[in-house]
Amino acid sequence: MDSKAVGNEIQKIAGELFRDDKIDVFIGFERATVPLKSRPCFIGKDEDGRIENLVWDSFCTNNLAAFLQKYFENEPNRRKKREKPYPRIGVSVKGCDTRSVVALVKERQVIRENVVLVGIPCQGMIDRRKVQEKVGTAEIVSHRETDDGTLEITTTDGKTRTFKKEEIMQSACIDCRYPMPEGTDFLLEGEAKEPGDGGYGQIEAFEKKPLEERWAYFEKEMSKCIRCNACRQACPTCWCKECFADHTDLKWIGVGNHISDAMIFQIIRVFHQAGRCVECDACYNACPMGIDLRFLTKKIVKDVDELFQYVPDFDVESTPPLATFSEQDKDTFITDPEKG
Amino acid sequence: MKDGVISKQDFPQFLNHLKKNAKVFAPVVTNGEAGFKEWSEEDSVEFSYSNLKLSPKGLFFPQTETILSFDAGSVEEVPSHEEKMVVFGSRPCDSRALTFLDKIFSEENKGYNDPYYMNRRENAVMISLACSDPCRTCFCSSLGSGPADEAGSDIVCFDLGDKLYLKAVTEKGELTIKDAGKVLSPGDESVRKDAEKQTAEALESMNNLEADLPSVKKNMDDSFDDPVWDRLTRNCIGCGACTYLCPTCYCFDISDEERMYKGKRIRTWDSCQYASFTKHASGHNPRKNKKERLRQRFMHKLSYTVENQGEVFCVGCGRCITQCPVNIDIREIITTFAEK
Amino acid sequence: MENTENWEPKIVAFLCNWCSYAGADLAGVSRLQYGPNVRIIRVPCSARINPQFVIKALQNGADGVLVSGCHPGDCHYISGNLVARRKFALTKKLLEYIGIEPERVQFSWVSASEGGRFAALMNRVIDDVKRVGPAKKLVKEL
Repeated sequence: MDSKAVGNEIQKIAGELFRDDKIDVFIGFERATVPLKSRPCFIGKDEDGRIENLVWDSFCTNNLAAFLQKYFENEPNRRKKREKPYPRIGVSVKGCDTRSVVALVKERQVIRENVVLVGIPCQGMIDRRKVQEKVGTAEIVSHRETDDGTLEITTTDGKTRTFKKEEIMQSACIDCRYPMPEGTDFLLEGEAKEPGDGGYGQIEAFEKKPLEERWAYFEKEMSKCIRCNACRQACPTCWCKECFADHTDLKWIGVGNHISDAMIFQIIRVFHQAGRCVECDACYNACPMGIDLRFLTKKIVKDVDELFQYVPDFDVESTPPLATFSEQDKDTFITDPEKG
Repeated sequence: MKDGVISKQDFPQFLNHLKKNAKVFAPVVTNGEAGFKEWSEEDSVEFSYSNLKLSPKGLFFPQTETILSFDAGSVEEVPSHEEKMVVFGSRPCDSRALTFLDKIFSEENKGYNDPYYMNRRENAVMISLACSDPCRTCFCSSLGSGPADEAGSDIVCFDLGDKLYLKAVTEKGELTIKDAGKVLSPGDESVRKDAEKQTAEALESMNNLEADLPSVKKNMDDSFDDPVWDRLTRNCIGCGACTYLCPTCYCFDISDEERMYKGKRIRTWDSCQYASFTKHASGHNPRKNKKERLRQRFMHKLSYTVENQGEVFCVGCGRCITQCPVNIDIREIITTFAEK
Repeated sequence: MENTENWEPKIVAFLCNWCSYAGADLAGVSRLQYGPNVRIIRVPCSARINPQFVIKALQNGADGVLVSGCHPGDCHYISGNLVARRKFALTKKLLEYIGIEPERVQFSWVSASEGGRFAALMNRVIDDVKRVGPAKKLVKEL
């Protein structure tokens, strides 16, 4: 289906869900006020007029699963007596969004029965930073996407340039192994892009570099960090009510932008994503300083995959890797003083 | 001498002259991104940006600043900052923003002077770079400012292609230009006309929101409990990027970092968008939800500061618009409340 | 963190109470020698170790960190060390990836009867850390 048809289909489904009183809120995407972006669109029960704002294009990059957890607060442990039942939420989801929902359901932060997933076969999203890089300092004032996989952009001097989608696709999407959502309540017709190979090669290449070079890169990237916490807030699986970084008694890390604090914040944040990160690049896209967070998130995904043969995919039944163990887990990292 | 002209090629001589008596900060590209850096001869000054990612507020109000240190019972205050500084390349909106921060950190604000900020301000010369090519997301003209606004500047510099025209605004600016008489040539009528023409064209190219700011304030004040706020703030993920990039945001936190008996007290940027910003020791949080926090942000900028400091605390730089991961647009907020 | 000829590394060792700590005790009672560079922190089980402890120790200036628990299969709490093993493997890999010398953060299994092994382990870790020098990378000076 072309993107206009996809948009129409989403509108149709959202309309039906409201008419049949199956949902209280629908979360999709609408046009943004800046070029090269589409923004999350919330539609409440009495806002039928807004359904026609729903669109689908290659700028629907946000991971909408990030919005779900707040609707189910007090789950699972402190189920307070509620005057009204939990809301029912319809969401349009890509492959990565679906896997985040699965991760949240496993952690009992989202009630699966209260969520209606409208799955959309993903053709890959465009990275606006890559487009800007190709254009240099000129300001992009408008864009037009064609259905044969090209993007035409116009800059303030009136010039237009055309790019093939492959040149400017988000790196996460190039590597993505799960562009087709599974286990959703609706699945739109259409083909997803060819799955990538996971992109572990990039990590392997980085691992082969000398230690000091790896450190220099990490230091260079983290020196840009202003500790705004946008990465944490944008991440769908960062849902802790009190983040370790905000503890004041006792303090794990300071709140300033001392580079040691910035580094430790990222190391621990990425570590906490082990077995949960779906590589949606929400953190990378939200970072105002453009820090390369991908070389860390992809590393934790690769390690969990290789060590424990686990990837956060569509299977709701599989046990998260750090919640269990296997007697076959290797001891290769152990120091044995009797051996070399 | 009230103005001066210098070719772009010879410009480093001017900076070198200033460097004899002060630290010079100018926009330099580091790690692929232009930002204020302490300039030295091998740095090439960047002119082709519309605006820098981080505003110059960090030069006067650093992200992390030590205010005192302690060691086993002895306390040492950090000496007040007396070093001379020249800041080149701040856009007029950012320089104007500093005059707003002056109202907060000086005796004007309930009679308490913040020496950490004010000393730096008093010891600095601001040379702003007037805009020739405003972004689509810039809207300073809608807020009573413009591409060559003189507020907060000691000198306004106009980029006329191969040469730069420097126009003194304050006495400090005049002295600075007079002092650099050896490297600057005096301005003439044609250069002044070119600068005026550039400013007029830049102003012409900007869209005006046509919003009556006093009406915006009144409508906002009358709509505190109005459900319109739910609709406007649903997208927010609470990332705080807007507050950190905003040139007029000034909230800060004071914390102690210690190890055994030694440590220091630091002041760091804080954000009203963080969940724990208004959390009381009792656990009660008057701004528990994102809606309440985001409403507070907009009302602070567009209403409360008008009452307390006599200014709308937004300069139209557009950073929050370009960086917001979910495209919450302050221009939409202003036009929504202008119409009501 | 003086870089002089006389620099001695500071090593923090997290030892599980039932096996590794007892092993350390046995080394002491048996008068087996190892360097005085180690500060021992006793925890009930290696599963108590949060990777944040390791990183916090490095931030506070430890030159090396050792975490030691019971051999897999011998945990006093049955499976604590098995759950911990996964966390440790990930921690070690992640820290080495970003450029922390692998000699600085080490993990091992030492049982209550292995006094000799404990002393040998300590000497091994001390030598390794001496070789890579004082820690600078994650350290936060106050």
